[in-house]
Amino acid sequence: MKNLQHRYFEDYNKNKPLLPGMDVSWLKDLREEAICQFKKDGFPDRSVEEWNNYSYKALTDNYFEPLSDNKVKINLKSLEEKDSHCTIRVIFFNGKIVNIEYNHLPEGVEVNTLTYFFKNNPDFLKNKISTANRYSEERLSNIIDSRPQSIVAFNTAFHHEGAVIYIKKNVKVPGYIELLHLGEYNKNIMQHMRSVVYLEEGSNCEVLENIVNDKASDLVFTSNVTDIHVCDDASLSFHRFIKGKSNQIHINNVHSLIHKNSNFFSTSIINSLGQVRAENRINLLGENASTKINMLMLGSKNTVLEGLTRVQHSKKNTRSDQKARIVLGQNGKASFQGKIRVNQNSDGTLANMSSKSLLLSDKARVNSKPELEILADDVRCSHGVTVGNLSEEQLFYLRSRGIPEVEARKLLVNAFGNTILEDLNINFADRAKKIMLGYYNDTI
Amino acid sequence: MGTALEIKDLFVEVDKKEILKGLSLNIEHGELAAIMGPNGAGKSTLASVLAGKEGYNVTKGSIKFLGKDLLKMSTEDRAAAGVFLAFQYPVEIPGVATSTFVRTALNAQKRNRGEAELDAMEFLKLAREKAKELKMSEEFFQRAVNVGFSGGEKKRAEVFQMSMLDPTLAILDETDSGLDIDALKIVAEGVNRLRDDKLSGIVITHYQRLLDYLQPDTIHILAEGRIIKTGDKSLALLLEEKGYQGIVEAN
Repeated sequence: MKNLQHRYFEDYNKNKPLLPGMDVSWLKDLREEAICQFKKDGFPDRSVEEWNNYSYKALTDNYFEPLSDNKVKINLKSLEEKDSHCTIRVIFFNGKIVNIEYNHLPEGVEVNTLTYFFKNNPDFLKNKISTANRYSEERLSNIIDSRPQSIVAFNTAFHHEGAVIYIKKNVKVPGYIELLHLGEYNKNIMQHMRSVVYLEEGSNCEVLENIVNDKASDLVFTSNVTDIHVCDDASLSFHRFIKGKSNQIHINNVHSLIHKNSNFFSTSIINSLGQVRAENRINLLGENASTKINMLMLGSKNTVLEGLTRVQHSKKNTRSDQKARIVLGQNGKASFQGKIRVNQNSDGTLANMSSKSLLLSDKARVNSKPELEILADDVRCSHGVTVGNLSEEQLFYLRSRGIPEVEARKLLVNAFGNTILEDLNINFADRAKKIMLGYYNDTI
Repeated sequence: MGTALEIKDLFVEVDKKEILKGLSLNIEHGELAAIMGPNGAGKSTLASVLAGKEGYNVTKGSIKFLGKDLLKMSTEDRAAAGVFLAFQYPVEIPGVATSTFVRTALNAQKRNRGEAELDAMEFLKLAREKAKELKMSEEFFQRAVNVGFSGGEKKRAEVFQMSMLDPTLAILDETDSGLDIDALKIVAEGVNRLRDDKLSGIVITHYQRLLDYLQPDTIHILAEGRIIKTGDKSLALLLEEKGYQGIVEAN
């Protein structure tokens, strides 16, 4: 692995003239610091607590080509039309911008690529893209362990494109903004995307990050990191739909800073046959800030799906609610690690977490780990974990009414996932339902 | 008339323990038969075997339903052929609305029989009619199946399902257990409304009271895994007087 770390370090140095924004000094410094961190830490192995559920052997046993030119071309005609609720759609194909579609760009809304901003308004992004360590946790001993975030450091060094969404004061964006990431990669390629979502005071916006790598099943490594800032009295929904094939490794991190009286809602729906890890690190920085984190992971065959949340309650009267639902068939593996951290003096915190898993086969495995770190006195926190299979009693009841077994199983799996889907508003609910439908048509 | 259900010399094991031991029973079209018996006699086992529940091993005997071999049919095929079991303990299904459940079931049965399915409007019209007959509010259509229902509501929901699915053989497994008198009356009225010369029924109960409302045509005493005595209403009265033990000993 040391060799691999060194090789990527060399790659970075060789390729850095090609990386965007290297003429911006703060960004150059950020990248340099990040690659040094990665050179020191390497990819996290199972000695790192947050990464100890399943191995990421495919990452450490293979070398992935950075910035190589993909030979695959996009077939624009095969693309589904923009959803009627979608106001702006940004399309990336294999990490490159293809198009930004909109019927009418609302006033006070700026949506463009990361490279556009590096070129035209780099100052805006300063401090909005941050080092991996900004979201690392301070241990009780005040020591920061940078290893869990080393893939974010890797992304920080190598990222070369992404989207920037900037919503100005008091602007309420109608419909939603979709960031569509289509992938059809050649073997052993890696691709790192970095996006920024910034909501000024009093604004309101919904975003869907839609990652679809469902064409080829060659070994590829992709990462998306999104830095989110929600200023006072604003509200952001940032949902992720992640679809992938076997052999694909996708690491997705969302880092959010939520200020006073603001609200952040995130739903992640993951349906992949590969290895996917979706993290949500949220810091409730202002009083009365609140967040809702929902996750639905659907896996089968040899899939490995991991969900991780870290919610920090840093001020008084902040609220968080986390719900994870996992459905696994065949040899599927999954984990959910959810943490609620209530900092000192964050009295009046209200935090709930629930994780439920449904195993459709004897070989499926799930690890669920709720963690609470509470340093304040006046706090209400709850957590619950269940793991089970489909109830024979329920199946018999449905069948005794004439519902065929396969249909009965679908109905029950659907009911299980509905807990997550019914929190979504009409803009996303139908699309999410389609993902569910696709999953159980393939699995059950 | 004519025979709707013909059970011949039925032996059934559950977990290798023999529960039914040579049970025979004939039920005519339009007949309502009550099955009474002490705890552990095999009443619920009979209901489960008829509905096709797994884990019930038929070692000997036959069941013919409308001339077909019932034991060769899957649970869902039996339902489509007209078998309906009203559960002693109706199962809760969180996340599935009652209307979705009943509509899925009704249309699955229709599909199975090669009939046209009901669309959402046709279904709603029918469901409203049936709910009204059972004095149920429409609000329960949207509630998850049996979740948070009281004992009475659960049993009423079973009768609602029964009236929607319109079976030819209804098996009521202790439908009266856990009901207060008013709820019992509503449930019994609901069942009586469905009675016609096409519907055959098996009512499993411990108590005389339900039979007062339902007026069964025949009464069968099930003890030690078989029917030991068959008679009319007067048998139930004899039972009240002598208890099961008295009748078992006399036979």
